[in-house]
Amino acid sequence: MIHVRNLTKHYADLKRGRLVAIHELSFDAAAGEIFGLLGPNGAGKTTALRIISTVLRPTGGTATVNDFDVVTQPSQVRHQIGFVSASTAVYDRMSAWEMVEYFGRLYGLPDSVLYSRMEALFERLQMNEFRDMLGGKMSTGMKQKVSIARAIIHDPPVLILDEATTGLDVLVARALMNTVAELREQGKCIIYSTHIMREAERLCDRVAIMHHGRVLATGTIDDLRQRYDEPDLEDLFFQLISADRKLPPTIPLPTT
Amino acid sequence: MSLHNVKLIFGRELRDQLRDRRTLFMIAVLPLLFYPLLGFTFFQIAQFLQDEPSKILIVGCVDIPGLPAFNKEYVDQHLGEKKRRSRFELDYQPLISGPDQKLTSPYSKEQMQRMVKDGKYQAVLSFSPHFAEKVEEYRVALRARASGTWPNGKPMPQIPEPEIICDSHQEKSAVTGVRTGNVLESWTEDVGRKTLAETNVPANAAKPIEIRHEFLGAADEQRFDSSLWSKVLPFVLLIWAVTGAFYPAVDLCAGEKERGTLETLLSSPAHRSEIVFGKLLTVMLFSVVTAVLNLVSMGITGSVVMKSLGDLPQAANVGPPPLASLGWLILMLLPVSALFSAICLALAAFARSTKEGQYYLMPVILVTMPLILLPMAPSAELNLGNSLVPVSGIVLLMRSMMEGTIGRLWPYAIPVSVVTFVCCWAAIRWAIDQFSSESVLFREGERWDLTNWFAHLLRDRQPTPSVAMAVLCGAVILVIRFFVGFMFTLPSTFNEFFQQSLITQIAVVATPALIMAVMLTLSPARTLLLSMPMNRRSFASLLVAAALAIALHPAVMSMEVVISWLYPVSAEVKMIGERVVHVINDAPNAFMAVLAIAILPAFCEELAFRGFILSGFRHMGRKWRAIGLSALLFGFSHGILQQSIMASLIGCVLGFIAIQAGSLWPGVVFHLVHNCLGYVVGFKYNGDLSTTQYGWLQIVLKDNVRVYHPAVVMITLATAVIFLLWFRQLSYRRTSEESLQEAIEQEAPIHSLAR
Repeated sequence: MIHVRNLTKHYADLKRGRLVAIHELSFDAAAGEIFGLLGPNGAGKTTALRIISTVLRPTGGTATVNDFDVVTQPSQVRHQIGFVSASTAVYDRMSAWEMVEYFGRLYGLPDSVLYSRMEALFERLQMNEFRDMLGGKMSTGMKQKVSIARAIIHDPPVLILDEATTGLDVLVARALMNTVAELREQGKCIIYSTHIMREAERLCDRVAIMHHGRVLATGTIDDLRQRYDEPDLEDLFFQLISADRKLPPTIPLPTT
Repeated sequence: MSLHNVKLIFGRELRDQLRDRRTLFMIAVLPLLFYPLLGFTFFQIAQFLQDEPSKILIVGCVDIPGLPAFNKEYVDQHLGEKKRRSRFELDYQPLISGPDQKLTSPYSKEQMQRMVKDGKYQAVLSFSPHFAEKVEEYRVALRARASGTWPNGKPMPQIPEPEIICDSHQEKSAVTGVRTGNVLESWTEDVGRKTLAETNVPANAAKPIEIRHEFLGAADEQRFDSSLWSKVLPFVLLIWAVTGAFYPAVDLCAGEKERGTLETLLSSPAHRSEIVFGKLLTVMLFSVVTAVLNLVSMGITGSVVMKSLGDLPQAANVGPPPLASLGWLILMLLPVSALFSAICLALAAFARSTKEGQYYLMPVILVTMPLILLPMAPSAELNLGNSLVPVSGIVLLMRSMMEGTIGRLWPYAIPVSVVTFVCCWAAIRWAIDQFSSESVLFREGERWDLTNWFAHLLRDRQPTPSVAMAVLCGAVILVIRFFVGFMFTLPSTFNEFFQQSLITQIAVVATPALIMAVMLTLSPARTLLLSMPMNRRSFASLLVAAALAIALHPAVMSMEVVISWLYPVSAEVKMIGERVVHVINDAPNAFMAVLAIAILPAFCEELAFRGFILSGFRHMGRKWRAIGLSALLFGFSHGILQQSIMASLIGCVLGFIAIQAGSLWPGVVFHLVHNCLGYVVGFKYNGDLSTTQYGWLQIVLKDNVRVYHPAVVMITLATAVIFLLWFRQLSYRRTSEESLQEAIEQEAPIHSLAR
């Protein structure tokens, strides 16, 4: 479903020169799988997901979604994915219903399919009580539900969730995770980035632990536990990150 | 691009804006309130102004028996209309008797000046103590002359001049001074008439010719109204069109960025162009509605105000503008609105926040203002030259519509539409690019520091310059050239001309590019395309470039004639041109002349414009945009407008050659041959080949202008196209941005590219 090869992203930075946001990132994710990107803040998770969702362009390497190239075929890629991130907000002056309807139309859904799917989604995500509320008046949880509904209204094969539980209370976060698990059951390929280990343990089939833009370890959670002989994922994560801290934060690169 | 998505985005943005109270207030409510409030304030201020009459002091009031009295009644009667008169207050100070029983002025000159300076009086009119006597003496002398008793050769007595003192630094005082002068003049006329009558000369002898004005417009009511409306309406419409476009644009781009909804939209399948068009239509709608609402509100308030001022003779003639011309005005508003909207949208997309967006309003207005105001000049009329100026062309078209001259000038609507359409298209493309550029969309606030920036420039050098460096290099060349131009005087000898040419080419054009290439890039040779011709292909390209220059020569000469016909050369520029031709023909030998006007420019200008600047612009990812921009800068660097246009066109050919050949040298050869031909035909023979064996190639137009025969131009142009096609088939080295752009356009998988 998703193939990422040697994905690299640099930013120009006045002080430090070239800032490496991600360096040679490679992974694959298949249908019916939740692939977790774990890492502390600034590890490059958001950058990687923004590249896969075609919002950013990579400096090097390739990424394909359902065999569509994220750089040269962005429009096709966007049809394949639903993207929810901490930075994809909902419109303040639009109600929940209007917002989901608008995106459904942008995805080209015919009205009959759109409205039946909307009814079903609003029911499943329990959004009916605020369907006419304007975005500006919603709580964080309500907004996140609208974002999820907006991202899956077109029933995409791939779902990209970037720290989707940030700012949610336990109840809403748990409900969201249940929804994600359900979507996996439906055969969706899900990329799930988080820095909360409990979420990863509960949801992810395979994970990649990222730090300073590079992958430190990848595999199923049980794999990693065995490989590093550490039953607790949080300790394992901490161990890997601390070992990596001793390395310089930026990798000197030959100029092209 | 799908129309469905554009409509969808437009509908959403429109609804969003209509739900925003601030926008609605700015767009709809403010204009409706603004003009009535303005009218109200106008009346208030007018009342306030009336309370402060201007004071005039008249020293040594004149009452000469037998002549009209220059007293309060007279002054009152001649100061102006009834309304205006009440704003003046007159004080009189008669002459007093001095110690020797002689009449004298009660104030010294200094005292009178002080009174005006201190604002006690706005003007002082002072008559000398002997004024009445001298006038009487003059009249006696005149009568004596008329009866023949005046001794031959005896000079007539002189009348001392009355003096008006006012302060030109205070407007009110200056105006009062002028008005007082007018009264005094009509009194002088009355005196003259009376004196003439006394000497039996008809009263109209001093003014035998009366002038009668006939205003054509007065009969044709529409045109009379329009003299005011044709200036006010386009100005109001266009200024509000900019303002009305600006605020929604900032909210739709910078505002969305700030609120985080832009990324949501960008991750949806809508194309960037669909997003831009959807937003553009919204912004345009608001721009048009704002402009029209302002027009309506201003019209209503204006007509009410005019009605209340009805007793003023000037106001009575200003009726509402005819409805048909208003309709045309609004129709022409549409393309201008589209242009402004696209520019505002692109600028707003660049802004990081709404606050930053607001900062860009002033520059937009400052650039637009002269384009709107210049065509308002009374001498400006629609012609082919100024119909090609964006915005100004439309304003002139609107003006001619209102003035009723459109019947004669309508053919210029075609170039105006073409130019406006091209500008619109360019602005929209720019906006789409802004929306595709991640550095614009995800720009983050970074603390800027000069030292860091310099360190960054040197440390993070790339093989070739960045786009910003190319812009900088172009700006540096233009600015230095501007200032150096002031230091030069018109050359009087060939030596002087040679020195100036040397300084301009080497110090102003080549040096900045060379220094920047060495300092700011890792590979100056690659930047400046300096690879030496080594293989057959590169030698061939040198030859083809030379042949191309020769083949294009007739077309270039014809084009020069067309340009000077479109934009006539001013007498001053013509004089400079003739002097330069003269000076160059004075060159000690042909080689020195060719060195100055062909060899030096060919090397220096190519290094700068096709070397550094073009290499930088190529990182934009679009070959033709890079060529166009470098050609524009090349054009600007030629000081005279007519030269700039030609240089821009030639610059496109040079840029194309440089990219296709991947080397600077074919361009140098083309430039060299082109300038040499220009020197021989343009300077040596002054465009006239009739004295040579090639005279048959030319035909004579009116004013003895010689151009190449159209058949010659056509044949050589066709040959030039073949040479250009030869360059086109060369495979050229693409920058990574260009390869990427091509892959995106072909939707080819990225791994098929060698990146």
